[in-house]
Amino acid sequence: MESWNRGILSNLELQTWRGRLIYLGMVLVLVLLALVVILPFLYAFSSGLKSNRDIYSPAFQLWPDVPLWQNYTQAWNYFSLPRLFGNTLILVIGGLAAQIGTSLLAAYSLSKLKPIGGQFILLGFLVTLMIPGMAYIIPLYVTVARLDLLGSFWGLWLPYGVNAFMIFILKNFFDGLPSEIFDAARVDGASALQMFTRIALPLSRPIIIVLAILTFVNLWKDFLWPYLVLLEVPELQPVSVFLFTVEQRSTTPPNIQMAGYFMAMLPPLLIAVFLQRYMQRGLSIGAVKG
Amino acid sequence: MNVFKAQVPAAEASSRVRRWQINWQQQITAYAFLLPAILAFAAFAWWPIFNSILMSFQQVNLVDASKSSWVGFKNFERMFLDPTFAASWRNSFEFAILSIIIGFFIPVLVGILVNEMRWAKGFFRVVYFLPSVIPPLIAILVWRLIYSPQPGGLLNQIVIGLGGRSQDWLFNTSLTKPSMLIIMTWGGFGATMLIYLATLQDLPIELYEAAEIDGASVWQRIWHITLPHLRSTMLVMMIVQVLGIVQIFLEPFVLTKGGPGQATMTPVFTLYRKGFLNGDYGLAAAWSVLLMIVLGFLSIIYLRLTRSTPNN
Repeated sequence: MESWNRGILSNLELQTWRGRLIYLGMVLVLVLLALVVILPFLYAFSSGLKSNRDIYSPAFQLWPDVPLWQNYTQAWNYFSLPRLFGNTLILVIGGLAAQIGTSLLAAYSLSKLKPIGGQFILLGFLVTLMIPGMAYIIPLYVTVARLDLLGSFWGLWLPYGVNAFMIFILKNFFDGLPSEIFDAARVDGASALQMFTRIALPLSRPIIIVLAILTFVNLWKDFLWPYLVLLEVPELQPVSVFLFTVEQRSTTPPNIQMAGYFMAMLPPLLIAVFLQRYMQRGLSIGAVKG
Repeated sequence: MNVFKAQVPAAEASSRVRRWQINWQQQITAYAFLLPAILAFAAFAWWPIFNSILMSFQQVNLVDASKSSWVGFKNFERMFLDPTFAASWRNSFEFAILSIIIGFFIPVLVGILVNEMRWAKGFFRVVYFLPSVIPPLIAILVWRLIYSPQPGGLLNQIVIGLGGRSQDWLFNTSLTKPSMLIIMTWGGFGATMLIYLATLQDLPIELYEAAEIDGASVWQRIWHITLPHLRSTMLVMMIVQVLGIVQIFLEPFVLTKGGPGQATMTPVFTLYRKGFLNGDYGLAAAWSVLLMIVLGFLSIIYLRLTRSTPNN
């Protein structure tokens, strides 16, 4: 990525046996750590391939003698994974649309349309950043219950529309767009909505993509809120909620469980591997502007 | 509006007029754009936050708000007198101390080492980041089997293979907190490491050059150059970590139900039990209010730090 003149060690030092030894030690630490990090994934994958007897074998065995690939098809059907992934996708896409939609509109208004009292509204949004959602999950649940949204996707989509952090990031981004473009468009008779869809949205596409991927993964990870809202309707539950409720209620053999868990982990893992550049950029936005 | 403007002849006058004149049409548009966010925040953030204060003074009727009755400070009284109160916050404190010992320095160290790599930097970055993207609940279910005291449990197999004794990792009072913290560290250190890596990009390498010429050892360079450069980020990350620790919920919820004894009872888990399992929403709201104060206090420190540090 960057041209490497040197790190803590200089290139010259890396020619000496001492420097090489230190460097080798560093590589060794990192490789060992990488193995430890991957081990739970490997364990889930290989346990999913074991027989009902092998899974309880007291001896350490990373790979079974006879891998039972049919465990995976069995788990796929047993947990009805296609439905679970479908539910998760519906939940996540709806939440994503709510979150990005409200945030984009609000950020654009605060940045470019200069509403009276905009400062106070922005402050009102940002205050919610100081109070993590866990602290008011009880009254939120009460509100959603009284709005009669329990047991439906709306009980998830609508609360997901709240994200002060995203409003803040997008407002800063819009603030950075040169106002000349917008002035010129206004002179040409463009309405606020036209300027939003024709100028602001296309220009913010890169940052929207980064935020969307980050939000996608975060919503996919969410557990407690979907669990509370969809507790009574198993057929709508997303993947982690359903796997948890199954695990609580029945005695599924561990090899089938592990096969299911491994497949459930795959979609976000693939996103992380293939879209890692976006995700890491998103994280650094979070870190820098936090 | 336009007609009015056209009637003012002098340019000077018009600009003076425009200063106090409100363009109502623009204001209506501006608020129309803000409306979805304002409605969402009102219903699902501002009102619940405010309502938790109200509820903490009530005996709450979930279905019908008008049937809730005011009970003064009774909920707070019950909260403070409950033996789980002291236990939960003491556990939070112990979790925080242990997590700083177990998990705080790993991302710092790994960030420094990965930054030093001349090749495969990207590989390490992705691998360490992988646990951060999977749903924590599924990770915890996998870890439950890793920690399992039954014959198939991976950790015991390894420990026995190394000549040790098998343990009941999650239900031994002295092991359960570290075991949970290992899950959390595994799940989070990669993302934190990326933040340290980003901070290291602004470290001027001339400093290392000068130190090397002065004969400083590698360890001295890390101690006197790298770590001081990371210090402000480390402070921020420590607050972030404590914020996360105070909110521990999933691990006790899935793995131990607060046990063994009360060893993994945490404030959020207790709040969950009072509210959702016992249906005592007023008492749970009292817990919420206290949590808001604690978390809000930590968040203010966090915001202060991120504003004032030059790196951020």
